[in-house]
Amino acid sequence: MIVAAMGALAVACGTHPPAPVLPPPTVATPTPPPGDPAAADTLGPRPAVATPGAFKPPAPIVYTATNGVTVWLIERHALPIVSLVVSIPTGAASDPRGKGGVAKITAQMLDEGAGTRSALDVSRDVDALGAQLATDGDADSSWASMTVLKRNLGKGFAILGDVVARPRFEAREWKRVHDLWTNSLKARASDADATARVIFRSALFGNDHPYGHPWDGTSASAKAVTLDDVKSFYASAWRPERATVIAVGDVTKEELAPLIESAFATWKSPAKSEALPIVTPAAPKGPWPRVVLVDRPDAPQSVIAVVRPGVAASDPDEAPLARVNLALGGSFTSRINQDLREEHGWSYGARSRVAFTRGVGQIVAWAGVFTDKTGEALKALLDDIDDLAKKGLTLDEIEKTRWQARAEMVEAYESVGSAAGRLAQAASLGLGPDYDARASVARDVATGPDLNKLAAKYFDPREAIVVVVGPRAKIEAAITAAGLPAPQLRDADGNVLGDKK
Amino acid sequence: MKRSISLLALALTLAPASALAQPLSIPFTKSKLANGLTVILHEDHTVPVAVVNVSFDVGSRFEAPKRTGFAHLFEHLMFMGTSRVPTKAFDGWMERAGGWNNAWTSEDRTDYYDVAPSTALSLLLWLEADRMRDLGPLMTKEKLDAQRDVVRNERRERTENTPYGVADTRIPELLYPDSHPYHHPVIGSHADLEAATVDDVKLFFATYYDPANASLVVAGDFDGAATKSQVERLFATIPSKGKAKDPGAPGFDDTKTTLTSVVRETIEDRVELAKVFMVWQSPKRYAPGDAELDLLATILGDGKTSRLYKALVYEQKIAQSVEASQDQGTLGSQFVVAVVARPGVSLDKLEAAIDAELAKARTGGVRDDELSRAKNLVDAAFVTRLQGVRERASLLNAYEATTGDPGYIERDRARYQNATAKDLGSFALKVLLPNARVVLRVVPKKEASKGVAK
Repeated sequence: MIVAAMGALAVACGTHPPAPVLPPPTVATPTPPPGDPAAADTLGPRPAVATPGAFKPPAPIVYTATNGVTVWLIERHALPIVSLVVSIPTGAASDPRGKGGVAKITAQMLDEGAGTRSALDVSRDVDALGAQLATDGDADSSWASMTVLKRNLGKGFAILGDVVARPRFEAREWKRVHDLWTNSLKARASDADATARVIFRSALFGNDHPYGHPWDGTSASAKAVTLDDVKSFYASAWRPERATVIAVGDVTKEELAPLIESAFATWKSPAKSEALPIVTPAAPKGPWPRVVLVDRPDAPQSVIAVVRPGVAASDPDEAPLARVNLALGGSFTSRINQDLREEHGWSYGARSRVAFTRGVGQIVAWAGVFTDKTGEALKALLDDIDDLAKKGLTLDEIEKTRWQARAEMVEAYESVGSAAGRLAQAASLGLGPDYDARASVARDVATGPDLNKLAAKYFDPREAIVVVVGPRAKIEAAITAAGLPAPQLRDADGNVLGDKK
Repeated sequence: MKRSISLLALALTLAPASALAQPLSIPFTKSKLANGLTVILHEDHTVPVAVVNVSFDVGSRFEAPKRTGFAHLFEHLMFMGTSRVPTKAFDGWMERAGGWNNAWTSEDRTDYYDVAPSTALSLLLWLEADRMRDLGPLMTKEKLDAQRDVVRNERRERTENTPYGVADTRIPELLYPDSHPYHHPVIGSHADLEAATVDDVKLFFATYYDPANASLVVAGDFDGAATKSQVERLFATIPSKGKAKDPGAPGFDDTKTTLTSVVRETIEDRVELAKVFMVWQSPKRYAPGDAELDLLATILGDGKTSRLYKALVYEQKIAQSVEASQDQGTLGSQFVVAVVARPGVSLDKLEAAIDAELAKARTGGVRDDELSRAKNLVDAAFVTRLQGVRERASLLNAYEATTGDPGYIERDRARYQNATAKDLGSFALKVLLPNARVVLRVVPKKEASKGVAK
């Protein structure tokens, strides 16, 4: 489904899991099955489920290396693997105006030649270790990550050190990367989900807002970006005193410390360039268009979405809001998936998500629906959201989401890559190494009235933007028949087209 | 059977030279209930999570004529409830306990898995036993119609409204003759999905969802003895009519392709960049040549130094991206090379460039350093795959279904470890025949009429 395509292992972009502490009393009542008494005897009543024990996400060891790099470490010795992330608190929100995509393409240029290695050498040497290397960026952060077998950790660190501290930024590699980038933006326009994601941001934030453009830019902005822009972004964003190195896996502090010292020994912030300010963008402001439509002639499905402002990651509302989102569209039994998919068969699935960003981000509920049912599905989606905002969660949802939130957190810390990704996200947003532990408690203790207040505050659909990517000729009348105004038309890059009817 | 080498031992047995030195294993016990159900237990208390994985030996290749897509549609119906578990309650009760589930269907088998806090394991087992026992006879037209619509939307979303998705449904039809069980795609056609009846569902359940046709894995944080007796109590009395017959592919031999020429087709799609797929019939899973071709795919298409990436994307700058894979199946595999063209590049030129690289592999084989790189990548994937209890449960059932030995991982690794450059070259020569393959072009709608294709 939509879920932003991320190059790196697990960094960022997840739903937010939760975890432990209070014991909500919940033991399912055994119900005697009707019919088939013999079988009933055999299976017995539905087993009661005892409350799972509290789960506290592990707290990393934190220290500062000699060149100013902050280090977070969680030891995990079950398998001989280590995941590393170098996390930088600057991303696409800091792209220079008109040059959307610089932060992300800068990260992607890091492994295109670094230190003594050419672009092909980096790739060859990473493969020789059986390692995985990824460099990428999102709204508020950039990162370089590696998962490597423990016995290759030293060699892996040497490559990671080159990539982060000694990128070459050669012109011939830039030409190729830029060509591929330009082509991928062209291709993006033929992907309905990717197009919808572009529209969410452009419609909610506007093109001049730090969150208003896609992280990979647009055809127009890519054209404007030069290798000098990349070099300059690197110099002002990828600075050791800003970086956090996350290590999760089969490594001790004694083993890790010298590797970090040697890999990043020569990484220094250039004196002549200033550090980019760490941006906390303003909350988006209306007036917003009510309905935005991107025409996709003859498409067999419409992507429909409802978009509105969400919450900043540092806001105390953020953690418990994850439970409200779970009830609306965060899992299979959530309201919109049950309605659009299981109840009506209009869709293969509907989901919702709260963006996890430094400033106020977006809340989106979306689905791909059969073109012929676009109008009915839109109306149902809006009604479901409205109902949640007005009436809050059911008692069953209040309990369900607490348990789901706990379980998600347990799973999030199961693999080294996923754990490192979560920590990297907390580091880049300045939330601290104990963020997941605190957020878990906050999610767990939230009461029904707390959640209902959040539902009313963040899920009211009346000021939300409706986004549709689908065949205009077949669905425009259905949109208005669903009680919505005539749509504003945009192209796949988010530009408003012609006359607004 | 009981294996006892612990994962923890891995960290202690690191040989410095080869990535392939230390043994990997997933400790398990395996037994069979009187009704034929295979039961595999993997106890691991690292995280408070329990996983149940149930695999049935049925997939799209078992489908009756005019019922394409049925095995997968049936997978959806397995969640529609029984007399004990009303419609929507399977998911509802599981998620209420903090759990979740999913399932998938391939040509060869259908796999269901549940993940939950370990306190909910009894519920997971009870729900699985309930549907394995009772689901089929209680099927109704309402349940069938509901999931029929969902599955048709799955088809629209994943193949019809996704760039190049149309290739997934067309390639099997071009690659295999009508009478081959792999001729039709797993998702099936709209017409056949529409035609499915409640009687079809009941018959399919009675035939293929028999305990003797299934394997149950319980993995994670549980008490072995207690769980074993619980599984026996819940599952052992499910009646069995015996293991379903596997029709196989009579008259077909995976070592001899049925293609006698180049099968060409061009399809217009909502895409900006054209894409070329080349596909061959190749040796079945675990057969001689399977691991070699899997390694060759890595050498051809994985990473910047892979042959196709380096030649077509990096040096000649005619391709946007490359992929190569050996897609393994029980009756035979597919070797796929897929390349997205850069704008304005003639597809004839692109195909010629791909062919030149394939010819080099056929005639000159591969270098030792290329093979070693591929082996490292494959082996690292073996290790990282063992991190999650869900993945371990899935792997145990995958090996059980395909070899009868859940602990096959070391033998599987050995196939890759023992492959030689010479073998890779000879299988490339034998399998990647220039005149017995499918060449499918997916091109932008607006350009299709300009005669880009031959």
